[in-house]
Amino acid sequence: MLISLISLMIGLAMSYPAEGKLLIDVDNPNLMKMPITVLDFTSSSDGSINGKDLAAIVKNDLFITGMFQIVEASVSAALNANQEPNFDYLAQIGSQAVVTGSFHVQQDQLVIEAKLYDVALRKLEIGKRFTAKVNDYRKLVHLFDDRIIEKLTGTPGCFSSKIAFVGDSQSRELYSMDYDGHDLRQLTRTNTINLSPEWAPDGNSILFTSYINRKPDLWSLSLSSMRLIPISAKSNLNTSGRYSYDGNYIALSMSIKSIPKIFIINTQGDTLKQLTNGRGNDISPTWSPDSTSIAYVSDQAGAPHIYVIPISGGEPRRLTFVSNYNTDPDWSPRGDMIAFTGRIDGRFQICVMKSDGSDFKVLTNQGSNQEPSWSPDGRLIAFSSNRDGARRIYIMDAKGSIQIPVSPITGKSPAWSRNNAR
Amino acid sequence: MRTRLLVTFNIGIFLALMLLGGCAKKIVKQQAGPPIPGLGGSQISEADVHGVQSTLRVIYFDFDKYGLSPEAQAAVQYNAEILKGNPQVSVIAEGHCDERGTSEYNLALGERRAGAVAEFLSTLGIAPNRISTVSFGSELPVDPAHNEEAWAKNRRVYLRVAK
Repeated sequence: MLISLISLMIGLAMSYPAEGKLLIDVDNPNLMKMPITVLDFTSSSDGSINGKDLAAIVKNDLFITGMFQIVEASVSAALNANQEPNFDYLAQIGSQAVVTGSFHVQQDQLVIEAKLYDVALRKLEIGKRFTAKVNDYRKLVHLFDDRIIEKLTGTPGCFSSKIAFVGDSQSRELYSMDYDGHDLRQLTRTNTINLSPEWAPDGNSILFTSYINRKPDLWSLSLSSMRLIPISAKSNLNTSGRYSYDGNYIALSMSIKSIPKIFIINTQGDTLKQLTNGRGNDISPTWSPDSTSIAYVSDQAGAPHIYVIPISGGEPRRLTFVSNYNTDPDWSPRGDMIAFTGRIDGRFQICVMKSDGSDFKVLTNQGSNQEPSWSPDGRLIAFSSNRDGARRIYIMDAKGSIQIPVSPITGKSPAWSRNNAR
Repeated sequence: MRTRLLVTFNIGIFLALMLLGGCAKKIVKQQAGPPIPGLGGSQISEADVHGVQSTLRVIYFDFDKYGLSPEAQAAVQYNAEILKGNPQVSVIAEGHCDERGTSEYNLALGERRAGAVAEFLSTLGIAPNRISTVSFGSELPVDPAHNEEAWAKNRRVYLRVAK
């Protein structure tokens, strides 16, 4: 319903690329959405899997990127008897590309064959065959969708990634879910406050702050053994741990005489470096993708602002000047942007700016929106919002043009995994 | 000279508050923190018998501030006198924030509030080894409502008797 409504609204903005090749220039600020048709998957076998549900996963994945306009069509109209797309019909309804799929269930095994065609060139762009347990059907479709995005943009999609977040019950347990809110799992059962989840780059563990020992310490949860490993308890406050891209270092906030400062430690918890000094509260570090700089929050100027400091040390440089309350920076994995929470007209909104502080933009405007976290491909942002009452996890494209709730339960502090999280 | 004045002022406030004792106690009880997951209460209940916990006042803060207002200073001074009279007691200064702002920044703010109270207690003559601090950020509001009244109650440092 929502999809078709928005499709209708942007229908007027449809256009065709000048070149013959199917490509989406994602960096073009005037990007026109690509009209694409996703046909219900067909099957010769009966089973618990429904071809309409499989197609719905594709549509949802493509829709949320903000790069596609879904053009609806029925299988009977758009597929020929030989299961080839009816390109004339698809061109006539305005589609530039079409996704078709067939599947077969044999006992507990599911085989999916999915294809992406260029309608104008009548050309097969991707043909993939996937096999897995029936219960993993969503994963199979997400994998195919990752390939679609890779084909069209040059970078794989993030549909196989996961989001961890903090549940809203009083003992704040950690949860994980697929990026689209499916496969919700409770990760911790510590019956204490748990905060600030962060995925290890290999996706096999989660770094977080927990009051297991009655104070905020940094812990790691192994997702294979579900064992808890203490990482840093040296200071009174050990929080906002963030891995460097190679996974060898952790930036975090530890306090000296109750003043939180940014430190770099190794994964055993040994302090390697105190990165910031002075009287300000320094918290929420985020690494640049080349790991040469860290952006963080400091209230050294009297109110919280985003600063950036070279990992080699030196003078921090203030990046935010627009709002008087800016927190929770997250540096895009693509390196070009920093998302953060800003207070605009008394309410918290998700904002982005270039990593040099220029080109400030506000992406949200309903309710209170906080704690942005970039997807591994730097195209989407997860955040928490109370716009519909209770606080839940939302995702949006990097322009904020599409914003949808995804978490099936209330929560906050989303952390997006890199690809291939457990 | 300044020290002496401060001490005189302290005692004055202390006596004044003692006279209003019944009223102050009620407020304190109402503001006592909710049970904290994972935090045992066995050490507290022993001291509670001595009545120290129930006489300690909650210290309140302005939004996004960790400096002590005159009212907050008076509350700390009141608490310092109680601690002086109960030298067997140690306290944990628990720093809290209202729900506005983000988890991590509020953790920093709570840490700073707890630190400000601990520092002032120590300048008032309470041995630093009797005071520890912990920040709970905005995770444990006493009033879960989303309005100014609730926020004002939640921006606090609660002195929890440790032994």
